[in-house]
Amino acid sequence: MATPTVTKAGTDVDILSGLRRKSDIGGVLFRWLLLGSLLFTLVVLVVLLGQVLIDGWPILGSRLGDFLSTGLGSKPETSGIVQGLRGTFYLCLITAVVAFPLGIASAIYLEEYATRGKFATFIDLNIRNLAGVPSVVYGILGLTIFVKGPGIGAITGGSTPFAAGLTLACLVLPVVIITSAEAIRGVPTQLREAGVGVGATKWQVIKDHVLPYAAPGILTGTLLSVARAAGEAAPLILIGSVTGFMSGHPAWWDVGQVRESFTAMPIVITAWARQPQEGFKVDNAAAAIVILILFVLLLNSAAVVLRNRFEKRREG
Amino acid sequence: MTPKKLKFLAVALSLSATAAACGGSSDAAPETGTDGAAGGGDLSGEIVISGSSTVEPISIAVAESFAAENGEANIQVSGPGTGDGFLLFCDGEIDISDASRPIKDEEAQTCADNGIEFVELKVAIDGIAVMTSSENADVECLAFGDLYALVGPESTGFSTWSDANDLAVEAGGNGDLPDAELVISAPGTESGTYDSFLEIVFGDIAEERAQEETTRPDYSSAADDNVIVETISSNPTSFGWGGYAFAVEAGDSVKLISISEEAGGECIQPTAETIASNEYPIARDLFVYVNKAKAAENPALVAFVDLYLAYGLDEAVSEVGYVELADEAKAEAIAAWEGR
Repeated sequence: MATPTVTKAGTDVDILSGLRRKSDIGGVLFRWLLLGSLLFTLVVLVVLLGQVLIDGWPILGSRLGDFLSTGLGSKPETSGIVQGLRGTFYLCLITAVVAFPLGIASAIYLEEYATRGKFATFIDLNIRNLAGVPSVVYGILGLTIFVKGPGIGAITGGSTPFAAGLTLACLVLPVVIITSAEAIRGVPTQLREAGVGVGATKWQVIKDHVLPYAAPGILTGTLLSVARAAGEAAPLILIGSVTGFMSGHPAWWDVGQVRESFTAMPIVITAWARQPQEGFKVDNAAAAIVILILFVLLLNSAAVVLRNRFEKRREG
Repeated sequence: MTPKKLKFLAVALSLSATAAACGGSSDAAPETGTDGAAGGGDLSGEIVISGSSTVEPISIAVAESFAAENGEANIQVSGPGTGDGFLLFCDGEIDISDASRPIKDEEAQTCADNGIEFVELKVAIDGIAVMTSSENADVECLAFGDLYALVGPESTGFSTWSDANDLAVEAGGNGDLPDAELVISAPGTESGTYDSFLEIVFGDIAEERAQEETTRPDYSSAADDNVIVETISSNPTSFGWGGYAFAVEAGDSVKLISISEEAGGECIQPTAETIASNEYPIARDLFVYVNKAKAAENPALVAFVDLYLAYGLDEAVSEVGYVELADEAKAEAIAAWEGR
């Protein structure tokens, strides 16, 4: 009604000047809102990290070596996390060994071989849903199949890192499949066509071109998923990891311990946080949290380093 | 079409097949020491303890001391909860069950059905502390009737302490509660502390008034005693209860309320002495249950329980914040163990 008619040339000028001038209040507000969200996230993270560092400092600063090399105990000042660290290390190892090949193979099949149809869509939808299933549910699954399942229970040895690792592998499998599939989907079609064009078989194209090209993406996704597995407590509680005390200190390289009873970092942290003594619930728990964060950071940086190497090779 | 679909199935199957294959290869090497009875030799057996997380610290202290002397023994202590402990115990999966309450009839029945005989040993007393914020100067002493009026089944909807006054008098309490907001933080139904509190405090009153032995449903329950203590210390007019050990560790941030069983009765402040002497009325016994058959075939287990009844009852119990048994009760526990 009252809208003034504008010429084409006029509109162009208006848009540009509108962006530059203060008249675009909405845009400016939006920009600050975005920045605010970012800062909020950062502040929360910094406060959290700062708090655990301050709480854990009495341990980290004075008896770090001792803390890393002793096991669970009855007094805060003589307790350490070596058993939790060993447990978490083996859990991650088993998770990676089981989930990586299975997940990547499934992703290759889904992306390269499966014909797009109702069935493929159905499978895809299921995998995506599985990725959102709460971890406790996987704990129940693990308890039923890997700990108590007839036959399988005897192989895993019951409540052991083996059973827990298989459970965590199931937990991260959907994420591994999804991220690997995305990475494979990102490979340019021309690459495949060129391969087929010079006479390579489908398998050769996948092996020599698609996978190397997708490797950085696949690696990032899969290693991040293992980092997630390292922080899970809920499934381990159901599987029955030890919360209070374990005697026996097998060496790190003693693979036999994957079929013995175990504990893990998230379990140690929750168990300590529930104790009445300040030494356990504040100092020790916070120190253990710092170590777990470092462990996860180490995994994540490994992912970054590996990705960069693969990317360089791809370009070179 | 069909062959492709079959391929999907094949992938799905290979998923489980590979997992199984993985299992096969990994279990080839370590075939030893899986099924419990690795015992024999001098005190190198396996001792598995599970159950109450309240008793867990005592068992940890004893296990630590035992492991220090017997390097070959393989001991594990966990604390999933008293009920879970008995479940494992009556399945014959563990040697000792920690419990913050006596075994229930149906649990004992399960044990009997599975042919599991056990010895019950009382090891310590745990007081249940009724708390408020240290800033709350208006409340010093409460009678059972007051507690019932504040959190019992008939108190639903009371939003200030004084709302409960009439009911408190009816239920045999003092009923001179302050006109202040009532913020309740207490354990939930899954907790042994909840059960014990109800049984001791509400038992008779609820029966007299023909009420169910339960609490009002409208308060915030927490599974973790540390959370309860935290909430209570941060609200000036709070009310709640939790383990005595947690209340003591909280120090000045919470106030322990004295308790009398009847209106105008003697107000007893919870201390190690009043709890041990049974003067403080809200306390419960902590137990361990030992599997007789396993003790018969595992000398390490016997030595462990011996240590529990000596070092455990005399030192570990108070070290971890619980109240030691009186000498007669200790003697009774030792006699029960000897007479197994």
